Amino acid sequence: MLRNYFKIAWRNLWKHRSFSLIIVCGMAVAFAAAILLSVTAHQELTYDQFHENKDHIYQLYDIDQRPNGIEYGATMPVPMAPTLKNEYGDIVYITRWGSGEGEYVRYKDKELDLSTRAVDPDFLRMFSFPVVAGDKSPLKELNHIAITENCAKTLFGNEEAIGKTLEIQFGGEWRSMLVTAIVKNIPTNSSFKFDILTRFENFPGYKTNSDRWDNRNHEVFLQLNENVSKASMEKRLPAFSQKYMAGKIEDLKKAGVQPDAEGYYTRMKLIPLEDLHFTNISNTGAGVSRFYPYLLVLISAFILFIACVNFVNLSLARSFTRAKEIGIRKVMGALRWQLITQFWGEALIVSSMALLVGVGLAYWLLPYYQAIFYPGISMRVLGSPLFLAYLVLGFLFITLLAGGYPAWVVSAFNTVQTVKGKLATGKSNALRNTLMVVQFVLSSLLIICTFIAWQQLQYLRNKPLGFNKEEIISIPISPTLESEKAIQLMRTKLAQQPQVISITAADINMGKGRDGSLQTSIMGFDYKDKIIRTHWQLVDYDYLKTFGLQLVEGRDFSREYGTDSLALIINETMAKQLGEGSAVGALLPVEEDKNYTVIGVVKDFHFKSLHQEVAPLTLSLNHVWPLQYIFVRVQPTALASAMEMVTKAYKEIDPRSMFEASYLDENTDRQYERETKLSKIFVSGAVLTILISCMGLFAIVLLVIVQRTREIGIRKVLGASVPHIVALVSKDFIRLVALAIIIASPLAWYIMNQWLKDFAYRITIEWWVFVLAGLVAIFIAFITLSFQSVKAALKNPVKSLRTE
Amino acid sequence: MIKIKDLEKIYRTEEVETVALNKLSLEVKEGEFVAVMGPSGCGKSTLLNILGLLDDPDGGSFMFNNIEVAHFNERKRADLRKHNIGFVFQSFNLIDELTVFENVELPLIYTGVKSAERKKRVEEVLDKMQIMHRRNHYPQQLSGGQQQRVAVARAVVNRPKLILADEPTGNLDSSNGNEVMQLLTDLNEQGTTIVMVTHSEHDARYSHRIIRMLDGQTVLENIMV
Repeated sequence: MLRNYFKIAWRNLWKHRSFSLIIVCGMAVAFAAAILLSVTAHQELTYDQFHENKDHIYQLYDIDQRPNGIEYGATMPVPMAPTLKNEYGDIVYITRWGSGEGEYVRYKDKELDLSTRAVDPDFLRMFSFPVVAGDKSPLKELNHIAITENCAKTLFGNEEAIGKTLEIQFGGEWRSMLVTAIVKNIPTNSSFKFDILTRFENFPGYKTNSDRWDNRNHEVFLQLNENVSKASMEKRLPAFSQKYMAGKIEDLKKAGVQPDAEGYYTRMKLIPLEDLHFTNISNTGAGVSRFYPYLLVLISAFILFIACVNFVNLSLARSFTRAKEIGIRKVMGALRWQLITQFWGEALIVSSMALLVGVGLAYWLLPYYQAIFYPGISMRVLGSPLFLAYLVLGFLFITLLAGGYPAWVVSAFNTVQTVKGKLATGKSNALRNTLMVVQFVLSSLLIICTFIAWQQLQYLRNKPLGFNKEEIISIPISPTLESEKAIQLMRTKLAQQPQVISITAADINMGKGRDGSLQTSIMGFDYKDKIIRTHWQLVDYDYLKTFGLQLVEGRDFSREYGTDSLALIINETMAKQLGEGSAVGALLPVEEDKNYTVIGVVKDFHFKSLHQEVAPLTLSLNHVWPLQYIFVRVQPTALASAMEMVTKAYKEIDPRSMFEASYLDENTDRQYERETKLSKIFVSGAVLTILISCMGLFAIVLLVIVQRTREIGIRKVLGASVPHIVALVSKDFIRLVALAIIIASPLAWYIMNQWLKDFAYRITIEWWVFVLAGLVAIFIAFITLSFQSVKAALKNPVKSLRTE
Repeated sequence: MIKIKDLEKIYRTEEVETVALNKLSLEVKEGEFVAVMGPSGCGKSTLLNILGLLDDPDGGSFMFNNIEVAHFNERKRADLRKHNIGFVFQSFNLIDELTVFENVELPLIYTGVKSAERKKRVEEVLDKMQIMHRRNHYPQQLSGGQQQRVAVARAVVNRPKLILADEPTGNLDSSNGNEVMQLLTDLNEQGTTIVMVTHSEHDARYSHRIIRMLDGQTVLENIMV
């Protein structure tokens, strides 16, 4: 009996090849997309979940009540970790995590930019980065390091790595380090990324800061005793703050801030490891919104649903044309469950083919997908039992719905009627129409979201930032160079070039450079009984000229004034914070024994991404730490050749460098990577859903036309024109699409409004977006419909009448 | 074999009530060959559907082999049907996707006959109907007469006690029609009871008894000599 079913199933599929193809293709594409998206979501949602002690590991952060609101911070002072461990027996392990400088590594003639992280020996005890070779409890001595397998391969090739000595640069100084352990490569879903682990004592500034509570430069992670909860620990931490951060609390009180509900000016709390990837507070976490992985799951569910609807609708429509077969089978004694089994079997064959093709497609697309959307995902999760169970269950459900349901409906009809091939189809049309409306609601939703996300992205990219971004090249200075000297050399080299307008430097890049770093430096001091907080940026001469910033008051830095090293230029927001009538001339007590003088005020410009409002900013010429970026403004006429010329000049200064210069407009765009990624997801989601929906529409129309051939023939005989027939066939479907848009619009408006709240600067959603999206959807649907309806309308009516 | 008393069937739509069978009574004995005749809409097809357990009556009694079946549910009817009744239709009603062999095999599949036995019985009956050479062809590749022979083969493969034929020659030319009528006569001579609806006086002459219907009632019975 089973063989008979499969045989007839196969013949049926073959006989209706075009339908089968539409279903298989649609489902395969949907499966492939759903697989890729859910693997991505899985990757995001399982970040840092591979640590054995994950339930007991936390990151420390503090909450300060500030004059301008509550502030969260995860950077900690050097004595914090050891003191905490001494005071609380419930802290099993604690480690500092220092990242930043000390990136360069030298071995023989190789010099590489590897990420070296400074940690305490507890690090490898609390986190599951297993040691695969060498010392099982590494980092015993200050000059011991642990490296990853990949790093060992890069540095030493096939040689034995354990026992080798290499040099690492810490704060400008090369130190010899001994490799004593190799740890397994880090999983891609780890927030902690490193090539080399070294003792925290090597971290730059360790000595000078070892007993200072006011200087913060690293993060702290700790593991609690298994029976101690996060809440109970957090309750005990304020006492610690009282004891060790009395000075800070005094300052906050002096600034006149209000304590929080429990009476604390500052307190420490814990971020559970599972939240690390999603929090903005931690510097190690990515601040990824949980919204994104769930959005991916949602979109993949959309796509799968739409493909399934096609499947159900087509099977349903086709089972009506197969009514006669069902009727005959019933006359021959087939029971209802036998018919349902038969149809389910057919659905199973189709879906299995689709699944196979889909998995193949997903594997084939994986490299492209990684390149465009999400590097580092792997398909390994597909083999996990949970995923397989989910897949099998989903699969059976889909096939039962798509195959069993239509059979269930049709087999319930009166046998005599079905044998004659006549069926009352009214009820099923309601279901079919509902499903199609849902399909188009989802597609329209994604089309509208795509439009709005794209508009916002364009807005972010094109909003005038208050400085020139198209003509400025930003060059990161290699840490191996002495920065002042490098700037000087560049100035001399480029001085004669007619393409170069001006040169300057700063300690912080503008936007996000090709080196991927985003830095912020914030300074706080008392000024006339107020606490002033400002972004602090070290700059070089010609900064204003190079960026094209407008002075609204005072003067620019100038080489002609010997005292400019204590001069400051501030932005308008900062001037407002100072609260002076004219800020120029204000003396700011930034350092204990030194007053800085404000010499100029510049018009506000967006030195940070448009997610944030313009904050107070102070520019200083006093290079208390090294500048890290050179900015060259070039003539707008020859941007490409200017880049070449600047590259050449820099290579002469530092031939070994990995040159990562870029134009600033690239850098500012890079700040919106997340948004770009999201809009790409929306676009692909929209394209896929509309494509699959239209495939379904196409097939349904084909069936409807077959059913209405006679009607169309009669109408033509009676004088209906081709457009009349096309309109007749299309009308019902276009109405469904229109209804879908009406339903989708408020939904999309709500969702995108929520999303836009992320931005300090944002577009307002315009009504015409919905109209435009609606027109697009209707247009696409109409084109799809026309293929079939025009063909039907052009058919010779004599022929179509003869078919009955 | 069949004993019907005061059988009623009424088709209702929102506005119209159509009485298809109006207190019809009828008896068919085992081994009989009965032809039912009458103008369009007189209720012959309805009668045949009820006799074939494809449809249920709205009133009256229907004894099949001395069992009251008028109130059987779908499942019971299907069970009784597949073991006892074979159908021959005017439009053959073969499944296009199945070969001749597979079409004939179908009733055996649904009655749960084992594969080897099925093969034997299908070949036997195809042989008898002289269409063995067409066993692997699809219905569309056959002439009308051949298709109807396949349909008859399918109707008898399960060795039913009763064959119901609904205008079996309606779509055939006269020589093919005669051939099919000869087949039915042969089957009847071997003991199968046959009830046949027809418009053709010629075909009706093959039967033992003609029942003439009008407006859902039997109006006349001719016993053939």
